[in-house]
Amino acid sequence: MTQGFFAFLLIAATGLLTAAPAGAEVGKKIQKNESSANARRNAASNDGVAEARLIEVYRLTGQGKMRDALAKAENLVRDYPNFQLAQLVYGDLLTSRARPLHKFGDVPEALAHKAGATLAELRDESQARIKALRERPPAGTIPSQFLALSPRNKHAIAVDASRSRLYLFENTAQGLNLVADYYISVGKSGIEKMVEGDARTPLGVYFITSNLDPKTLRDFYGSGALPINYPNVLDSKRGKTGRGIWLHGTPPNQFARAPLASDGCVVLANPDLERIIRTVEVRTTPVVISHRIDWVPPHSVRAQSKTFEEALAAWRTAKSNGDLQQLLSFYTADFNSQGKTLREWESALRNEVERVKGRPIQLKDLSYLRWTDAADTMVVTFGEVPDGTRSGPTKRQYWIREGNQWKIFYEGNLG
Amino acid sequence: MKHGSAPISQFLRLAILAGSLALTAAHADEYGDVNLLMRTGKLAEAQTKVDQYLAAKPRDPQMRFFKGVIQRETGKTNDAIATFTKLTEDYPELPEPYNNLAVLYAGQGQYDKARAALEMAIRTNPSYSTAHENLGDVYAKLASQAYNKALQLDGGSTTAQPKLALIRELFDPNAKGQRPGAQPTPAPAAPAAPATPAATAANSKPAAVATAPAPAAPASPAAPAAKPATADTAAKDVEAAVRAWAKAWAAKDMTTYLGAYGKEFDPPGKQSRSSWESERRQRIVSKNSISVRLENLSVSVNGNKAVAKFRQDYKADALSVTSRKTLDLVKSGERWLIVRESTGT
Repeated sequence: MTQGFFAFLLIAATGLLTAAPAGAEVGKKIQKNESSANARRNAASNDGVAEARLIEVYRLTGQGKMRDALAKAENLVRDYPNFQLAQLVYGDLLTSRARPLHKFGDVPEALAHKAGATLAELRDESQARIKALRERPPAGTIPSQFLALSPRNKHAIAVDASRSRLYLFENTAQGLNLVADYYISVGKSGIEKMVEGDARTPLGVYFITSNLDPKTLRDFYGSGALPINYPNVLDSKRGKTGRGIWLHGTPPNQFARAPLASDGCVVLANPDLERIIRTVEVRTTPVVISHRIDWVPPHSVRAQSKTFEEALAAWRTAKSNGDLQQLLSFYTADFNSQGKTLREWESALRNEVERVKGRPIQLKDLSYLRWTDAADTMVVTFGEVPDGTRSGPTKRQYWIREGNQWKIFYEGNLG
Repeated sequence: MKHGSAPISQFLRLAILAGSLALTAAHADEYGDVNLLMRTGKLAEAQTKVDQYLAAKPRDPQMRFFKGVIQRETGKTNDAIATFTKLTEDYPELPEPYNNLAVLYAGQGQYDKARAALEMAIRTNPSYSTAHENLGDVYAKLASQAYNKALQLDGGSTTAQPKLALIRELFDPNAKGQRPGAQPTPAPAAPAAPATPAATAANSKPAAVATAPAPAAPASPAAPAAKPATADTAAKDVEAAVRAWAKAWAAKDMTTYLGAYGKEFDPPGKQSRSSWESERRQRIVSKNSISVRLENLSVSVNGNKAVAKFRQDYKADALSVTSRKTLDLVKSGERWLIVRESTGT
């Protein structure tokens, strides 16, 4: 056992030992999984298990418990024969019994020569998994994009491309709780999708638009697919093209894919995707994909959103009052709603205002998610309910900050 | 990927065991006869003898062991597996049947089973070096399979079958706790007392004897008077030859190492001398580092023949094996050369 390999795994192990929440989760999963074969048959508890067991192998290796590590690795590859990274680690642990290891993935020269690219990808995958488990989100923090979620957003998803990680949240009365996180793959060419065919994964605020029946999908997509609404209004405004960006599973011969592998989709191991499919709600679950998630305490998020909240309240007041000129001041000059320019939109607004006749409107189930890159934008969703009525249309607005002013550059009803 | 159909290696190392020493005289002849028939390739005759013997004594482990070896040699792999499996059930304390079971499984490409059997062999006898070496090969093979799966390569053609050593003969299981190693051997020749330096200097041909404890003695001329100088000198020479052999092995000095074996040396299995040499070369040179330490070396000399027994602490890379070893040597000109090498436990 050489230092390089040891050092690598020790790093992994020490990082993991200090990451209490992850450790607890890992422990739980392992117990769950190894306690009985029933647990494995029960699909409900299968997500994240393979990785947790791999990390357990790393941890044992880091502690020098090679025999235990080998036994666990052997069980792992028996249960997940297509988990290539696990096979690599299993190979190393077997090798270490016959000769000293010189590096992680110490494959014979001939194999390294034949499949050098795959080997490099597996090393990257290993690093990504370890990194995501070592660098846990600080307790009580949330991704900065999730400014306000409504009770209708029962779940939320955030993807951190820099960590090859997807975080699944549950939205409770007490706020967002991280319930699980999974290794993911993004586009072969990375992130920041611009044009069709660039093999990049888009960055932005999206929503799951449907749940495709796996029976209608090729094996390649694994246990299912959840398309998202790329290109969204902001993407289209910026001239971005392409379509068919999905969260989907892995083909039968691969438990997981390389960190950079897809044509732009976000790819998860099938058990992980299955959990997500069971959990999320079509149309309301947001999926924020960012280069790197900025984890912040919820109260700082609220402070940041103050100027926006004021702008939104002012817009509501203007609409409630039926003051068309006042109302129009909230829309950008390049406003566009499904092809309607501001001038065309103005007549629609006028009709609405006349229908409401000065009755105050309430914003029900309000959510807003912030997306900041070169521009500072807000994706806002609410039910617009005039007083005296039970319900109203569900609206989505895209706001953009111009100097100190928040303005609307898109508004539309959700089907 | 298909492993099952690959032919069993033709280069099986035959570990000839010194076990027959421990056999009771009554059985020794019969065992010896069968052993000789097997070694000379007269398998049908050997089998007849074995069957006759087992008709009278169906439980006899040595004969059953021979039977398994013959079955294997005659291509009856499944029968051989059954024979050795039954032996492991009836005599779970014996490592040899596990070892041979592993060889058979490996021949079928069932490396997980081979590994499990070898681990059992080692559990029953932790210093069983043949099983250790075989296990090292099985680990390497399993690793190669795992790597191929990791890299999604069709590994069928890329890796050769490991060459595992079949054990040909069982120690007498009736002599409980009396494996040759543990036995007080008829080798009283004083290894501890440093011999006269003059004699050593005169006879020792092997150049690399530096490790021999020769320099310690010169100041004490009084001591050796009691012993006949020739026997003492011969024992000293044998010891020097053995230590030179171990040193060359550790140094991966293949010329000296192979040169330590005489022309009469009978390579294990049905190997030719040259294939044995190339196998040793491959085994030894492939290691990053080797250390061979000899403990409790005892030498008995009888004319131009000698027997050296010792405990061998062998370390190669991650592998560490302690085993009993017996070398039979014959004096050829001025040199003592190895003509038989056997591993005991």
